[in-house]
Amino acid sequence: MGSEAVLRDVHARIEIDTATAPETALEAGRRAGAIDVRFPGFKDGRGYSLAALIRESGYAGELRAVGDILPDQKDCLERSGFDAISPDTPSPRWQRAGFTHAYQLGIARGATDRPPVYRARALAARKEQVDALNREHSASPPQTIIAASVDAFSGRIAMLSSFGVEAALGLALLAQVDRRVPVLFLDTQRHFPQTLTYRDQLIAHLGLEDVRILTPDPAEARALDSDGKLYERDSETCCELRKVRPLGAGLEDFDAVITGRKRAHGGERQSLQPFEFDGERVMINPVAGIDPAGIAALYRQMNLPAHPLREQGYASVGCWPCTAPSAGLHARDGRWPGSDRSECGIFDQARTDRAVAARKRAVRLIG
Amino acid sequence: MYRYDEIDRTMVSERVEEFREQVEARLSGALSEDQFKPLRLMNGVYLQLHAYMLRAAIPYGTLNARQMRVLAHIARQYDKGYGHFTTRQNIQYNWPALVDIPEILEQLADVEMHAIQTSGNCIRNTTTDPFAGAALDEVEDPRPWCELIRQWSTLHPEFTFLPRKFKIAVTGSEADRAAIGVHDIGLKLVRGETGETGFEVHAGGGQGRTPRVAVKLRGFLPKNELLAYLTAIMRVYNLAAQRDNIYKARIKILVETMGPDAFTAEVEAMYRQIRGRDLAVPAEEAARLTAFFPEPSPVDRPEGAINAPGFARWRRINVKPHKVPGRAIVVISLKPRAGAPGDATADQMDAVADLAERYGDGEIRVTKEQNLVIPHAVAAHLPAIFEGLEAAGLATANAGLASDIVTCPGLDYCNLANARSIPVAQALSAALIDRGLDEDTQGLTIKISGCINACGHHHIANIGLLGVDKKGEEVYQLTLGGVADNGAAIGKILGPGLTPDEAVEAVTACVAMFRRERRSGEVFAGTLHRIGFEPFKEAVYGQ
Amino acid sequence: MRAITANRLTDGHVVYRRSDGVWTPSLIEAERFDDVAAADAALNAALRDILTVVGPYLIELDGDEPGGRKHVRETIRLKGPTTGTSLLNAGGR
Repeated sequence: MGSEAVLRDVHARIEIDTATAPETALEAGRRAGAIDVRFPGFKDGRGYSLAALIRESGYAGELRAVGDILPDQKDCLERSGFDAISPDTPSPRWQRAGFTHAYQLGIARGATDRPPVYRARALAARKEQVDALNREHSASPPQTIIAASVDAFSGRIAMLSSFGVEAALGLALLAQVDRRVPVLFLDTQRHFPQTLTYRDQLIAHLGLEDVRILTPDPAEARALDSDGKLYERDSETCCELRKVRPLGAGLEDFDAVITGRKRAHGGERQSLQPFEFDGERVMINPVAGIDPAGIAALYRQMNLPAHPLREQGYASVGCWPCTAPSAGLHARDGRWPGSDRSECGIFDQARTDRAVAARKRAVRLIG
Repeated sequence: MYRYDEIDRTMVSERVEEFREQVEARLSGALSEDQFKPLRLMNGVYLQLHAYMLRAAIPYGTLNARQMRVLAHIARQYDKGYGHFTTRQNIQYNWPALVDIPEILEQLADVEMHAIQTSGNCIRNTTTDPFAGAALDEVEDPRPWCELIRQWSTLHPEFTFLPRKFKIAVTGSEADRAAIGVHDIGLKLVRGETGETGFEVHAGGGQGRTPRVAVKLRGFLPKNELLAYLTAIMRVYNLAAQRDNIYKARIKILVETMGPDAFTAEVEAMYRQIRGRDLAVPAEEAARLTAFFPEPSPVDRPEGAINAPGFARWRRINVKPHKVPGRAIVVISLKPRAGAPGDATADQMDAVADLAERYGDGEIRVTKEQNLVIPHAVAAHLPAIFEGLEAAGLATANAGLASDIVTCPGLDYCNLANARSIPVAQALSAALIDRGLDEDTQGLTIKISGCINACGHHHIANIGLLGVDKKGEEVYQLTLGGVADNGAAIGKILGPGLTPDEAVEAVTACVAMFRRERRSGEVFAGTLHRIGFEPFKEAVYGQ
Repeated sequence: MRAITANRLTDGHVVYRRSDGVWTPSLIEAERFDDVAAADAALNAALRDILTVVGPYLIELDGDEPGGRKHVRETIRLKGPTTGTSLLNAGGR
């Protein structure tokens, strides 16, 4: 991990040409602060793929196209990741404007970035669907919201469950609708043993058929938390390692996620809608509007087993190092006690995106 | 039928404006011909023997009546009153002036059409089964995926300056009908173990100088992974293929040089590296594209019939069963006796538009056999369709028969050709029909190319002719045993080259031999396999 | 005997080069060269005519008609497509 910083010389400019082998180009990306890609002829399109590879590997320095290139190729160059252009032959025609839209995923940076049309359209449609669902279900009971969600997002919906003190309700309602809907559980490896026992008890009790356990990447865990005490030094990074990143990977196949978030949790959650769109996914909060008394009533009515820590005064259970019994106003006051944190970050889309990007960069690049 | 939204409209009109500026830059000298040529090619503009040629894309061979009328209008206004439907399901105009082409492209854009990437070293117009959405044997309609590929491949920043041209074909049924085995990438919709559909992926096929049948990279690819997988194939090809020799720059040579296993491993590794949500096809977009192509409604009326001469024969030969009750697939042959294959006059185009609109929900297809199709004809109206086609000179009852000959434009038009194709096809079609050899030849394919680039698909013809230039004279090589669809095969050369007249006689002799020797239900490849090349050799060359 | 031909830039039509450097659709009007050096010199001048024509090159003549190895192609360029004509009358020979 540390070798990259040692090798890279931000002041170095390396020139490669379009015939450069991909692994050599990537090496340039690891060593230099600026890269020139020389086009010996404008019809030689290898430079576009090399630029894309270099950018995808996480290279953030200058990437300049030089040589025999035409103004007519400006859009292709920029969208493949070049941020500087130095043609052999200058021409006023380089002042051209790019296309307004892009049909494909590009690697353009800054102002020339355009989302691929297929995603732009889909995300707009997804947002519209969320608005429509909220209009229809502003006062619907949890059961109806879950049924409508499973129907609307069939095959691409999962429930995210902490198997914490209030989790059984959502899981039970889901099981009534469809036991095959995947349930994601983040095994941070820092859970209370009671939570794990409770998880297995609930799975059996409710007949859940597809519980997926997400664990931290072992290599990342070794690198970031070699002594196992990262939580003491930096609880945010610990959450990043043990929750945000594994969830980012686990959610890859899902467009909609059912959460157990409730307005009564306080903090940012006080304004929760049943359906929320985070710019990428639909977050569904079927029990958002139910207060603690309502939850307790439903537990009794549905005869649901309680979390073993419930009777020890925990109103919200996370990892053992960062959870205390809650005596405060809101259920989540016992999370990260003594800090101003109340969220681990898994509901923060920007953090999830960064985590996914970091994971992709870590993949070996082939030639 | 696909529909443009505001994004598509903006893309295409910006592209028209870009080309207008490029033409001006060429006329003013700001662009040299060497610089302009690849740019005009990417807008479908060739310089042929007599004039510029404009190839307009017909997306996966699908168009509607309104679009067909604009194609007719362009033929009248800017050409000599006709157009040529190609083996890649497009249309070519042989006579437009360069200075008129931006205006033509604007008229195409008005009806959601374009000429983008119909030539040049980029991803070309995707082709598919002309019976898509209508065929009885279909696993799934391939057109939503063709439309997705059309958009994704349009102005792709990374894949616009490839080593060589790149062609993708998609089929939704076992019978293929899109010749996926001889495409750079061939995709087949198949049903997986759990019942959902996905793609079987083939790559490395092609015709031309070195004909190759594609290798299978994958038995099943989830549909929403299509763009990631295509990107992986394209990137491996773009980076690794030879660029210093145009005869070795196609993906088929790369697959062969690397070996199918190593190539597949490289693609799979690249795919694993790049796949993710950004490249995944969102369910909403897949649903939007799928909604463009609804199944036609059933028609609760009996099929129509009349006693007019020729109707029964035309019904038997040119009409195919449809998956929806009360509908029929009507193939309109553009192969009249001694006609130029694939040519249609502006009036004929208008006539087809009218018939499709009146009797078939307005939809029309172009086939790689250079015919037209009314895919969703109302079977009750077959007599009216027949009469309309007859009035337009389009009722030739030979769809799929020997005289349904495929040809490239050849040396009559094409700058690359070494010999003429169309006149040979004309003489051959007359000979077959006049000598009664055309009867009962359903499925027998004859295809003619005027040069080794094989636009006339001669490699995959049961009986193929390739025109070559031998010391200034046109000579034709005869190949036997090629197959286009459902397990492609490359034909083998039968013997020495033939003069044009000899070529016509040789092909008719092969047809006669097949008709004499075949067993009941046997296709040409079966007969050839059973009796071997010798009887054909003797029929063509004597002892 | 040789002449210089090209396609006109604006419409792609077949043209031949006259002795005054003007391009004409008529082969009869084209300048004819017996001498290789003179032909090459005229071709060099034609190749600089990039705003008028595309791809000038020399063709061989047989009397007033295209000749030599490319006679079929050049006859078709001169007279138009032969589709619909007799095969035996290949390229008008």
